[in-house]
Amino acid sequence: MLPLLRCVPRALGSAVAGLRATASSPPLRPLLQPMPRPCIRPFGLLSVRAGSARRPSLLRPREPCACGCSELHTEGDKAFVEFLNDEIKEEKKIQKHKSLPKMSGGWELEVNGTEAKLVRNVAGEKITVTFNINNSIPPTFDGEEEPSQGQKVEEQEPELTSTPNFVVEVIKNGSKKALVLDCHYPEDEVGQEEEDESDIFSIKEVSFQSTGESDWKDTNYTLNTDSLDWALYDHLMDFLADRGVDNTFADELVELSTALEHQEYITFLEDLKGFVKSQ
Amino acid sequence: MSLVLRNLQRAVPIRRAPLRRRVEMLREILGVQKFDLGIICVDNERVRRINRIYREKDAPTDVLAFPFHENLKAGEIPQPAFPDDYNLGDIFLGVEYIFQQCREHEDYYDVLTVTATHGLCHLLGFAHSTEAEWQKMHQKEQQVLEELGRRVGARLQPLSGGPSAGQGDTGTPRGWEAAPPFGA
Repeated sequence: MLPLLRCVPRALGSAVAGLRATASSPPLRPLLQPMPRPCIRPFGLLSVRAGSARRPSLLRPREPCACGCSELHTEGDKAFVEFLNDEIKEEKKIQKHKSLPKMSGGWELEVNGTEAKLVRNVAGEKITVTFNINNSIPPTFDGEEEPSQGQKVEEQEPELTSTPNFVVEVIKNGSKKALVLDCHYPEDEVGQEEEDESDIFSIKEVSFQSTGESDWKDTNYTLNTDSLDWALYDHLMDFLADRGVDNTFADELVELSTALEHQEYITFLEDLKGFVKSQ
Repeated sequence: MSLVLRNLQRAVPIRRAPLRRRVEMLREILGVQKFDLGIICVDNERVRRINRIYREKDAPTDVLAFPFHENLKAGEIPQPAFPDDYNLGDIFLGVEYIFQQCREHEDYYDVLTVTATHGLCHLLGFAHSTEAEWQKMHQKEQQVLEELGRRVGARLQPLSGGPSAGQGDTGTPRGWEAAPPFGA
């Protein structure tokens, strides 16, 4: 089984189909027949009939559940929890790293939710690299071709890779300003076969920011590299490489970010499961 | 016009600024500063793939040159009719291969420079499929590298060690490769 929830829209479609199949399993009821009100009911909110004396379900106080709790439990919720159980099991099975991989080069890692910070002190400088794993997985290249008969869908799914933008801050000891370089991975879609001639990562913007202030100041001059002299750009890339931010670092960051993203995804699924079935 | 460097590999650390400085000098010596040029640093795997696709040779190599202007006479400076055609083409440097072939006493950036010179000469119509072609190319490389060596204070020897029929312009339309060993 694949990480279905993340393979939109194809996989989401099948997940929804699964829920529908479960939800439609009770026999259809004639529309005019009075509707019993069990605790577990599919499409409970749609059960209001025209001219009904009852208030619409949304406005009606919840009936206590048959199980004794005061929550809403539906067949859909049950199927949802089962689905999540399977998904979590499969995700754990394909999880590459049980703990986050280490970056080479003496970087110290701090994780705060979806944000990770790598810190390194070198010869009077503090270098901090920050990235956030939210929305860091580029869309996969979804060709027109349908899988041929007998071909397993699993074989066609490219591995998901997290390639977040990352911000490098360089602070000289005792200085109150940081040189901030906003770096990106190429935005091409994953899975394309064409020869790609983009750098492994590139610098998009460079500015100075005050170390004392947490907010980014848009009033500070920001150098955009789109129209930059290439010689200056190369010096900036060498400047980063001298501080340990080179192609090898960029590769390791992808591995770390992918592991963190996967870990957070599994945690989210577990939270979602707990939320849906909470009593 | 622009010289664009790309580093698509992580096998060998590459400092861009020194490489750019050398290639800028080469462009100046050859009188082609007006032309765009791409230098792309790649590892063995990628250079092998490109070599296989364009030259049907399934092996890594040191340099592959893809001229923008084809059918130039050796040493001919293109005369483009349109601004967009002020482009020499791209040189793929197999930096991992070059590093592996680099001898102990050789400076890596010197060898990269020599290899880039060879690629640039290919972009300007030089070839080394025959003895006569090789003579011309070798002479040009020597002249350019002598001038560069004078400027940077280094002794640089051309890459093309001898005629290499079948390595250059045969088989595929646009792929070129150098003939190792270096400095021959």
